[in-house]
Amino acid sequence: MSIEVLENLKKAIIEYDSEGAASWAKKVVQDRIDPTKALDVMTVAIRQIGDGFSRGELFLPDLVGAADAMSAATPIIEEEIKRVGARRESLGTVVIGTVYGDIHTIGKTMVATLLQADGFVVNDLGINITAENFVEGIKKYNADILAMSSLMTTTAPEQRKVIETLKKESLRDKVKIMVGGGAITQEFADSIGADGYEPTAVGAMKLAKRLVEK
Amino acid sequence: MALKGFTRNFKPLEILTEEQVEAIHRGTLEVLWVTGVRVEHERALKLFEKNGCKVDYDEMRVRIPPALVEECIRKAPSSFHAEARDGKKSLMLGDNNFYFGGAPGLQSVDLDTWEPRVATRKENYDSVTVLDALPNVHFLCPYTPYFGFEGVPPCMAMLESQAARIRNSTKCICVGFSNDSEVFAIKMAQALGIEIMGTCATAPPLAMYRDAAESAFRFAEAGFPLRILSGQVMGGTAPATIAGGVITNNAEVITGLVLAQLIRPGMRVLVKDFSHPMNMNTGAPGFGSIVACLHNAASNQIFRKYGVPIDNATCYPNSKMPDYQCGYEKTLRVLVAGLSGANLLLLHGSVHGELTYHSVQAILDDDLAGMVGRFMEGIEVNNETLAVDLIEEVGPIPGYFLNKEHTRKWWKLEQFVPKVADSLTYPEWMNTGKKSCLDYAKERMEEILTTHKPIPLTPSQEEDLERILEEARRYYKERGLISEEEMATYRESMKSPNYPYE
Repeated sequence: MSIEVLENLKKAIIEYDSEGAASWAKKVVQDRIDPTKALDVMTVAIRQIGDGFSRGELFLPDLVGAADAMSAATPIIEEEIKRVGARRESLGTVVIGTVYGDIHTIGKTMVATLLQADGFVVNDLGINITAENFVEGIKKYNADILAMSSLMTTTAPEQRKVIETLKKESLRDKVKIMVGGGAITQEFADSIGADGYEPTAVGAMKLAKRLVEK
Repeated sequence: MALKGFTRNFKPLEILTEEQVEAIHRGTLEVLWVTGVRVEHERALKLFEKNGCKVDYDEMRVRIPPALVEECIRKAPSSFHAEARDGKKSLMLGDNNFYFGGAPGLQSVDLDTWEPRVATRKENYDSVTVLDALPNVHFLCPYTPYFGFEGVPPCMAMLESQAARIRNSTKCICVGFSNDSEVFAIKMAQALGIEIMGTCATAPPLAMYRDAAESAFRFAEAGFPLRILSGQVMGGTAPATIAGGVITNNAEVITGLVLAQLIRPGMRVLVKDFSHPMNMNTGAPGFGSIVACLHNAASNQIFRKYGVPIDNATCYPNSKMPDYQCGYEKTLRVLVAGLSGANLLLLHGSVHGELTYHSVQAILDDDLAGMVGRFMEGIEVNNETLAVDLIEEVGPIPGYFLNKEHTRKWWKLEQFVPKVADSLTYPEWMNTGKKSCLDYAKERMEEILTTHKPIPLTPSQEEDLERILEEARRYYKERGLISEEEMATYRESMKSPNYPYE
């Protein structure tokens, strides 16, 4: 019975079915199924989508559709994990967002999805995020990695501001910082003291792994 | 007198039936009234409300009634004069007039490796000189040629770029907006006694951020024209379907148009289509896509129905160098935009999307502009061009036309001769080093830079320009947008004996 529920949860994510994913997640809770097992199958599902994307067989609408379905189920399962006091295995916790003044969301969402697929716990703060909001997010989620995006040259300096604010708050050494977006180059990333830069979402996924291994 | 540019002398391309145009117009009105648009600007919301819009202040959502939309469209002039520093280069926007402009690039490219790199100050100024010299460049768009150059902090990029355009060109100038840059842009123009065209870029889907609305107010209050655009990516920030994309783009630019007309009735505005399908592998805009051409043709048909001058982005290729792909991507965009009724078109210099720019590309593009412009001019039909009498006079072989007065007069009027195209025969080509258009373009760039001297500003204009730039530098420094380190680099870059030109 529990295998059937978990299979359906996995299937819902693979079929981009947010409502289905949420209702099968509720069924996990109802039937007292081990929530860490549910999280495992969800990760398997999103990784399957991520692999398809990496191979060029699936496309962005598929990736984002599966990510939405995953996001619909995740809070329900996480709540249950907390309730039963289980430990959630993950590669690390990421806080991600597009910087203040910049409203470009897609690149950031791709990275968030792939990081999630790879086994990170990802907290996507969204777009137009101020330095203060990033600091709050890092504290709230006890993040291992901060990932920032800016598409425009005019908003790239905001990444510097976030890093400066983290220094003031004595949080700089607590997180690894990765940056990306159309306006960012390796030189810029070095100049603001980021720990890493990658130009593609798949590259960002590999970078995050390297950063937590260090 | 306005600069002539080109004139489309035939009926525009109509890709939609009348019923389809009506369906898209009705869809737009429904979206504006039922869904509404998020406008993050209190003063704008109050103005919308005062004029009969439904405003939800908590959601910052404005719902615009159809009658107000149609009234504001009527208030917008169907054509207008946009002044250039040199009055003879001013533009008459609207009707069948067709002008080309320099496109922006984030960076320059290396001509050997075609890899992107940051432009130098000298390259930026030289690139403006080239645009000033090219006969088929009629205006210079915001960020053109570069989004920024060596030594300049990002928040000063737009203003430094504008200063370069003003200094090295007398053509019509457009400016963007970011972090209050338009305040200084307007000050510069007013101090120098010139006009600039502003920009209001809405944010798809269906949103207008504070800065965009503020820009509309500032340019309206300055009495300058305004270009209104969106910049959707179909499948991402707009429906994946062309018809749906045209509706949301339309709703977004119309929101800007209504705001502009409410601030200043009769304000000179241009509406723009800057839409691309999403590359579903990378998320990047599909520059050079044929779908963008379809969207463009449909949008232009709607805009013509509205009778508002049309600014068309963008002939941006996906290619990374001026190769076969670049050629067809640019040509299709230019031709479709022109055929479907564009009045302004960004073309010159874009190497890859908005990411790279080079003068060599601008020189190649000038030939494309000339060719398409020639096509737009169409075919003159009168007794003299019909040449029936001449045909009778020449008769069958051994008669010929090469020695006729008619030929001497008319071939130059009828033909367009590209300046840097390879038009040699095989023997000539083999004996002259097998040059391509790219080689010729490089030579022409050197020639222009040696011979073309842009008309300089007067000393007092120059003083005003530098004073306002300095004011902006201090403003951004105080606001923390320029770090100590950046300022030091910036100051250092200004120490060249040939500042501001290198």
